[in-house]
Amino acid sequence: MSSAEAGPPVASVVAEELRGRVEPPWEVFGERAQHFEIHLNGPSVEMVRGPIALTGYGIRLFRPREKVMGVGFSAGSDTAPASIGRLVAGAEANARYSSFPSSGVNLPSGNGGAHPGAELIDRRLWADPTTALSDAVESLLHLLEGRPGIAPSFGSLRASLVHTSIANSTGLARSYEHTVVDSEVAVKAFGGPEGAAPGEYWVNRRDRQLPTEAFRGEVDGWCDRAERMRRADSPPNGAFPVVLPPPVLVDVLPAILGFRLSGAARLRKVAPAVGSRIGVDSLTISDDGQLPFGSGSAPFDDEGARTSRHPLIRAGVVAHLLYDALHSAAFDSPHTASAWRAPAFFSSWFHFPFAPQPACSNLVVEPGTGGSDAELIEGIDDGLWVDQLGYAFPDPLSGAFGGEIRAGYRIRNGKLAEPVRGGTVGGPLVAGEGEPSFLSSIGAIGSHPTLVADLVCPPIRFNGVSVAGA
Amino acid sequence: MHSLRDAEADLRTALLHVEPRTRYVEVMAERSRGLRVRLDKNATVPEATPHLAGAVFRAWDGNRWVETATTGLEGASLEKAALALRERLPSTLGERAPPGDAASHKADRSTRVGRPPSELPVDARVDYARTLHQWGLATPGIENVFVAVEDREDERFFLSSAGANIHQRITRVRGSVAPLALENGKVEYDFLVVGAAGGLEVLDELTQTNVTESARTALALLQAKSPPTGQMPVILDSGTTGTFAHESFGHGTEADQLLRDRSYLKPILGEVVGPESLTIVDDGAYPRGWGEIFFDDEGHPAQKTVLVDKGRFVEVLHDRESAAAMGRRPTGNTRRADFLSRPFVRMTNTYVEPRDFSLEELVQEAKDGVLLERATSGIEDPMGGNMQLKVKRGRRIVRGELGELLPSMALSGRVLDFLKAIKGVGRREYFTSDSGYCGKGHTDILPTGTGGSYLLSEAVVGPA
Repeated sequence: MSSAEAGPPVASVVAEELRGRVEPPWEVFGERAQHFEIHLNGPSVEMVRGPIALTGYGIRLFRPREKVMGVGFSAGSDTAPASIGRLVAGAEANARYSSFPSSGVNLPSGNGGAHPGAELIDRRLWADPTTALSDAVESLLHLLEGRPGIAPSFGSLRASLVHTSIANSTGLARSYEHTVVDSEVAVKAFGGPEGAAPGEYWVNRRDRQLPTEAFRGEVDGWCDRAERMRRADSPPNGAFPVVLPPPVLVDVLPAILGFRLSGAARLRKVAPAVGSRIGVDSLTISDDGQLPFGSGSAPFDDEGARTSRHPLIRAGVVAHLLYDALHSAAFDSPHTASAWRAPAFFSSWFHFPFAPQPACSNLVVEPGTGGSDAELIEGIDDGLWVDQLGYAFPDPLSGAFGGEIRAGYRIRNGKLAEPVRGGTVGGPLVAGEGEPSFLSSIGAIGSHPTLVADLVCPPIRFNGVSVAGA
Repeated sequence: MHSLRDAEADLRTALLHVEPRTRYVEVMAERSRGLRVRLDKNATVPEATPHLAGAVFRAWDGNRWVETATTGLEGASLEKAALALRERLPSTLGERAPPGDAASHKADRSTRVGRPPSELPVDARVDYARTLHQWGLATPGIENVFVAVEDREDERFFLSSAGANIHQRITRVRGSVAPLALENGKVEYDFLVVGAAGGLEVLDELTQTNVTESARTALALLQAKSPPTGQMPVILDSGTTGTFAHESFGHGTEADQLLRDRSYLKPILGEVVGPESLTIVDDGAYPRGWGEIFFDDEGHPAQKTVLVDKGRFVEVLHDRESAAAMGRRPTGNTRRADFLSRPFVRMTNTYVEPRDFSLEELVQEAKDGVLLERATSGIEDPMGGNMQLKVKRGRRIVRGELGELLPSMALSGRVLDFLKAIKGVGRREYFTSDSGYCGKGHTDILPTGTGGSYLLSEAVVGPA
């Protein structure tokens, strides 16, 4: 999808209708996307989808009343003037009954294109999505061929080519292009030995690029895990040192810290105070909206403010909270370009139907002194390495998470030992002062971080984790 | 556009572009409308359901299904999507017909609504939400109460080259109240959710008594100690039983997974899996079920399918393809999350039928274990046959009596072991039908109903 095919930015088209007719302040977020999918049934292609053509926009109006702000939001897909008019009318009606505790809103202003350095596009995918996606699938299936007792059972590759645009009543007009790739692959191990049930390793990942090279490097590990899980025992029951690698932490840290370290949490008195201790001394975490190929990266947030990097936790102490336009006005705090649109519990490849909330973009956990994966577990007599949870079910409000161990290993005498599966691991990631939590129980942070979706992080060893086994 | 039927001419014109290149083509147009009000101490947020409308086209290319979709229902958008689909199809028809039976029903159906959601426009809805909020705040010590009241009408119109012409409107209403308690940085909450297909009468179950009880529980949870861990007797409350039926068992009965050899249940179809007291059903026509549909997204009528009949695993859920492969008939379980998503075999309303026991009898039988309450989530493991459920709270069971309140827990174990260990199913008086959202994996989220009564078995419990 070239910029020419895309047409004028959706937000600009809608903003043109609003300018001079709708009282400021207001804002428009627009998306124009083409989406493609290939679905697998075993080693065969079961379904091909695309192009799925999507155009949509969300309008927000801000109507100050005494000491509160009425905020009206409407979203739709029809850019005809009459339809825009209906959405505006709906937003005005909603604004009358809405209230937010702020007398102002710090909408960003300015124009311009993308920041240099924020790599967000798979160029080959952008130029020829059908062929690029098909080639990626073929490459994946080829990697899984010729492995006795191993086969893909279920999966899909889904790619979105998105043109995002933002405009507001200050005259801001910004847009950028990006690609999103969601991969889901289940690898099954079957056949002998006698009596062992089939095993499966289920990969779910989000990238900016087709992960063809990543698959090349990882597929042996998937197959190995699928096979090992056939012989997996139940984990032990009790308190143990547990190592959680980035593919597990990516489902926990952004969801919980992205809310609890935000202006929205501060408004509800569930954010830790800046300057309070939240974790061990070795824990330093930043929010970085410019991370190359981070799935949370963008040159601007979803209100059009330029993104950058902010420290959130420094040596275990809360350094900063995340603010969008409304919350920064409510607390008279600087805007951190942290306005993001997303559904509450699941990810989506389009965002215009959702009003923005303050949240993290990408989290970067500073590497520690724990060394390599092998060095990280050297000092553990009896513990667990959890490779994968069924799902961590992070609860941003309570700060807790927990899930079934889908794939893991016992650690014995400083080395990975027998595979384990089943049972649960979890608890509070963050807690009140003096209460036990995962962040206050960190034993060591590895020295080699990797990027997984919107998290850069090494594996982390946590002490005294409650594991429920048979 | 008053109804999606107004787009029929354009939809048929679009189909005509595709028909010469395929043995079968269908289109589903969809749009949604509704209103949600969210409210807490700090903000009041009324939001209309996004005005999203569009259509998805599906055709058989001789070997597989091919789809395109578009936002917008005007002729130009539909034609563009149809032509893009045609480009994907071979120029000759090919010999292989699409699998399974094509539906050809003609129907126009709508949810039976007692009090229409339009009777509660935004101002009245905000007032109603404030009332729920005040009920919760009236309990001393409650810091905040999160309230959400929403309605949503999902309208779908399905046409096919086999002659199907099906128009349906499903109206769903849902309300939730979550009182929040804080103490020294510790955050706890409880919640109530009511949801069903229907009108505002669905919200009548949100009473001041229920909200007050929930607020008191949120406060009590601040003092709750960590739950026990390990294998033990567990009693699932009605909501958790329903979540179990859906997540842990139901996903394994989606026949597309059987065809992929990705269901732990496939080898045991026809066998006894649990006690005679166990019957598990999926029913798209369950009265007021949150997962109600009249026809699925291949045009087959929704129906009641008994999956486990008095302990024996007897049937699975089919789309046209799996039904043809397994010599069965479609069961009305092909669903798309929306017009932007592909169809899969999906559940509708999945529940465990109630039986004989009182809660007291089950607690006495359990002796020492936990009662799990307020299911929050679950995830399927159709290949491995393990289960993962999460609850917001529970109660310890000590020497056959209910004891202290416990905070959130996760439940795991092997589903087949859990079924075999079922010792009792609760009576109809405890049965509830609940509302939730389900993904096929981590995507394609759609509304599904669950239901059940209390159920006693054994599983692994841990903190969550």
